[in-house]
Amino acid sequence: MSWDNNNNNGPWGKGPSGGNFDNNDLDKLITNLKNSFGRFSPKSPNGKVSKKNWGLIILIALAIWGATGVYRVQPDEQGIVLRFGEYIRSTPDGLHYHLPFPIETVIKPKVTRENQVEVGVRTSSQAAIGRGTVGRDVPEESLMLTGDENIVDVDFSVQWVINDAADFLFNIENQESTVKAVAESAMREIVGGADLEQILTQGRERNESAVRDLMQKTLDEYGAGILIRRVQLQKVDPPAAVIDAFRDVQAARADQERLRNEAEAYSNRIIPAARGEAAQLIEAAEAYRNSVIADAEGQASRFNSIYEEYKKAPEVTRGRMYLETIERVYGGMDKIIIDQSGESSNVVPYLPLDQLQKKQDNGANQ
Amino acid sequence: MIKKIGITGLIILVIASAFIFLSAAFTVHQTQQALILRFGEAIRIVTEPGLHFKLPIADDAVYIDKRILDLDSESQEVIASDQKRLVVDAYSRYKITDALKYYQSVQSSARANARLSQILNSAVRRVLGESTFEEIVRDKRPELMKRITEQVNNEAAALGMSIVDVRIRRADLPEANSQAVYMRMQTARTKEANDIRARGQEQAKIITSRSDKEAKIIIAEANKISEITRGEGDAGRNKIYAESYGQDPEFFKFYRSMVAYEESLKSGDTRLVISPDTDFFTYFKDPLGSNK
Repeated sequence: MSWDNNNNNGPWGKGPSGGNFDNNDLDKLITNLKNSFGRFSPKSPNGKVSKKNWGLIILIALAIWGATGVYRVQPDEQGIVLRFGEYIRSTPDGLHYHLPFPIETVIKPKVTRENQVEVGVRTSSQAAIGRGTVGRDVPEESLMLTGDENIVDVDFSVQWVINDAADFLFNIENQESTVKAVAESAMREIVGGADLEQILTQGRERNESAVRDLMQKTLDEYGAGILIRRVQLQKVDPPAAVIDAFRDVQAARADQERLRNEAEAYSNRIIPAARGEAAQLIEAAEAYRNSVIADAEGQASRFNSIYEEYKKAPEVTRGRMYLETIERVYGGMDKIIIDQSGESSNVVPYLPLDQLQKKQDNGANQ
Repeated sequence: MIKKIGITGLIILVIASAFIFLSAAFTVHQTQQALILRFGEAIRIVTEPGLHFKLPIADDAVYIDKRILDLDSESQEVIASDQKRLVVDAYSRYKITDALKYYQSVQSSARANARLSQILNSAVRRVLGESTFEEIVRDKRPELMKRITEQVNNEAAALGMSIVDVRIRRADLPEANSQAVYMRMQTARTKEANDIRARGQEQAKIITSRSDKEAKIIIAEANKISEITRGEGDAGRNKIYAESYGQDPEFFKFYRSMVAYEESLKSGDTRLVISPDTDFFTYFKDPLGSNK
């Protein structure tokens, strides 16, 4: 009765690995042995041989029973040996021996294996193999309130190992779900203490380590024998319902940048152009100044030269200049000479000036 | 015959003693404690793991877990003191510290969990109902969890249990309120985006108008310099002319007139009606120039 109780209530689902056969099996074995004894004794011709047989059978049975105590601990395991349910020693990997069932049993937890708990997302094994870490979102786990009363969508995973196998096995119930519950609680506590902006941007690494520390502290309080290796934030986003609005903010930032750049570009274009124009204006003005002065100097110098000559013989020079000029002027143009002295003086009003002009134009066109 | 009886007797003896041994011996696993009942009455508690003995048949061993056990309560809606609603999911970790009390009051772990989750839920409602929304979510979460732990612990002690920890696993808004928060978040972001765009336009305008101004100033400065320079030129020209022509203004007038005639009366576009009475024709009609 008590044996049964012990075994079936074992906390690990399966029976201890040292005793795959349970008490019923043991009882059967004993009965079988006894039956064998019964069968042997009457058939044997004399008592001595019968006794020898008996001794041999018992010896073999004991040897087989004793041999069931040999067990192997894999490199990633640790052997935890229980004597009548009491934890007495732990063994490293390799081949070991414990007293056979039911005296001692061994449990072999995988102490070096890194376990992972995911919160907010379920990575199916297929997805893990085929398409990286694409998983099914679990919004009721991942949506949480921030300190400034916003909601944020956080997916994260926790990697943990068994730190103390005995504590892990004997101190807490449902180790895996405990890790998960503690993880959720810790993440919400940390996220609840921060503002959305912080969580989304700079606080990432700090939050990871804060959650890790809080989890470790809580689990240590439970004496869980668990070491939290890492807390990894996989996704920290605004909730799907509002993510477009958040993206629009990013787009607005880009727009702002673009507008500023365009303005800078405009500025970079217009100011050099203005400088160029300014230089052009100044150069033109200088050209004007210099050319005007040079021109004046030239003319003045020409006048001076003529004047020098004129001074020597004013009358003659003046007359000569006059005649030469008029000669040149009259030389190249149509002339009508009308003697106004006497009767012909009233001819001027009748001159067909228009026609003369037209004739001139036609002549020019042909 | 005697031998046969002896052997049979021996076998019976062995079986009988094995039976007695098996019903007297019991093991307590590392994770358990055992309550020994004699005809239903609890007489002692075995907490040490290992092999132990009791009276066969008369005594019965009841095994009770010694580990930290978990209790996940259903999530429930809690109204904070500022009337805001929250859906709270708390869990508890507890230990059975008094196996006798535990056995007497709840007996099985299913009943223990049911009782404890009632206690937990009401403690959560009580403690969180006295706090504001901000305190629950942000400011006082650890303190509140501690207070819930204490309250649950007080009540659980009567059931032979001690509470290791109560933690708020989730404290979220009910669905309707979540929608309101989403709306708020959305409008806040839209506002921010508009703000950012407007600021971008502002900056762009500032930059462009500043550069327009600079360009204008540059041009104006250049115009100024240009006018000054041109003025210098004009002044220089006037000075040169004045110096030169000032030597004989009358002759200058004559000279300049000559130049002007030549320049303005171009051949081809001018038709002259001349009287032969001008100075030019002094000798036209009279070789002696007697007109003069």
